[in-house]
Amino acid sequence: MTTTTGHKLQQWMEGGVSVIVGTADADKVPTCCRAIAITTKDNFETVTVYVPAATGQETIANVATTRRVAIACTIPRSHGSIQIKGISRGVKLASPSDEELVRTRLQQWADALAELGMPRCITQRMTVWPAFAIDVSVEELFDQTPGPKAGQPLAC
Amino acid sequence: MLKLSSISRCFQGVIPSLIASADAHGLPNVTYVSQVYLLDEKHVALSQQFFNKTRRNLAENPHATAEITDPLTLQAYRLRLKFLRSEKSGPLFDTMKLRIQAIASHTGMDGVFRLIAADIFEVLRAEKVEGFLNETDVPNETVSPSGLRTEIRGLQLVSDRINRADDLETLLAATLDALDVYFGMSNTIVLLNDEPTQKLITIACRGYGGGVGAEVAIGEGLIGTAAHERQVLRISGLDECLRYGRAVRRSVMSDGSRVRPEIPLPGLHDAQSALILPLLIEDRLVGILAAESRDAMAFGEWDEAYLGVIANQIALGIDRVIEEDADAGRGFSPPPPTEGRAEATPYVVRARHTLTYFRDDDCVFLNDEYLVRNVPGRILWKLLGEWKRQGRTSFTNRELRMDRALGLPEVKDNLESRLILLKHRLREKCPDVQITPAGRGKFTLDIAAELDLLER
Repeated sequence: MTTTTGHKLQQWMEGGVSVIVGTADADKVPTCCRAIAITTKDNFETVTVYVPAATGQETIANVATTRRVAIACTIPRSHGSIQIKGISRGVKLASPSDEELVRTRLQQWADALAELGMPRCITQRMTVWPAFAIDVSVEELFDQTPGPKAGQPLAC
Repeated sequence: MLKLSSISRCFQGVIPSLIASADAHGLPNVTYVSQVYLLDEKHVALSQQFFNKTRRNLAENPHATAEITDPLTLQAYRLRLKFLRSEKSGPLFDTMKLRIQAIASHTGMDGVFRLIAADIFEVLRAEKVEGFLNETDVPNETVSPSGLRTEIRGLQLVSDRINRADDLETLLAATLDALDVYFGMSNTIVLLNDEPTQKLITIACRGYGGGVGAEVAIGEGLIGTAAHERQVLRISGLDECLRYGRAVRRSVMSDGSRVRPEIPLPGLHDAQSALILPLLIEDRLVGILAAESRDAMAFGEWDEAYLGVIANQIALGIDRVIEEDADAGRGFSPPPPTEGRAEATPYVVRARHTLTYFRDDDCVFLNDEYLVRNVPGRILWKLLGEWKRQGRTSFTNRELRMDRALGLPEVKDNLESRLILLKHRLREKCPDVQITPAGRGKFTLDIAAELDLLER
């Protein structure tokens, strides 16, 4: 991916972005769950997505079986959205050094929703820790902002 | 299985839902949908607005999972779904279409996003997402029986006020007052259908600090769409819906395409929910009753059903008082010129105003400021002319109806609503000129200033 494209996509790795994960089991039955954070250290060659352990068991089981992962990142205020498709390179329980990132993302998520009228005290009740960290090799990127261009591939 | 009706708040569209699908090879896709519609304990529906990846996946693999969220507690629930069929017509399709059409119209996106089909799913399993929230401080909400009794009593009182009202202004003011006092609906508006202009004209409102006279074109925006389709429109999470529409709008505009401007909301700029009900007598649209709230969950199914009962009564009440007013006018003749002469009025002159009628624009200005136009403007000009020439201050609705120069329609002329509009405009902009009821079908023109009348 070019540096310019990577720079434009970086906004979806920041705080205040909604991150959701889709997977499917061996029988091709899909499921979804909310993640709490996503990061990239190599300009979208790979991403790491953090899924709460309390709610992500089914997702983790599917990833272990099929390795296929879909991740949608959405900015709540604008509905701007991308979808990342890829293959899992590994799943691990997030390390204690990741806890600050995860908890900061929860605060930022609560701030973003508070702007839209959801009280922070409600959002902050979400269980986010401990979390699983899923490393994903990015294969495809799509624009998923609602409208006629939804589903168009982004440069990858 | 968890009863879907027990989590009905999740289906109001306040918080977008997640939907995961997979293609024939099991490759997953995940996205948001603005609303999952609850059909019954075993079925839900999703709106299909674009032929997107989810739709293509469902054609290959009927399995899907939706995650829905309670907007008050944020508790999440997962629905294991099996796609059954798409419906492109029928009552469900029409209900879902109205909401999407209204949002599209409001955001200037008519035709760009529209309902293609209502996708029906069987709910194989519904489950609470355990561990989603820390189980502390869970709000406990119950409906108290005394609350229900209050609501039934309130319905009785609203009906009583409608039935007792002698004129349209009293009927509407009393109804909106009762909705506020007994049901906490503090932002309400009634618009009447002006058939010749294909517009809805605001005739009464509460909680906005003015607004009488504001117009909405039938077919445009939330209110105009509900009027055009003659269907109830209930939107929770209005802000969320509008942001969705604006996202589509930005996407379309990014290609350089020109789109129609967004239609300003006629009421609260920060409304989170709206309930818009057509006032119908059989198929005839009398007007619209709309309520708004800053609470995203202000209006549920119960409010829709309840306000529907009240809307029917308002429609019948409006029809009744207009008919009575027309009947009362029959047989009246205009009073002789000597009756109620201007010099007999007890007012002390406090100011001097210039009122100007612009023939080309069909409007009246007060001291270079716009006052009123169209039929209410012509009525005012007629009254002022009679006052100036003959010193008359007493008038009848009957003589206005007979004056063809005013351009009132022969049938359903809405004269009373036009007089209300004129009264409100005068009260707001020109307190020295007032219209005061003087018995059924009669009124006086009360002038407390020196007036210069110009015609251009």
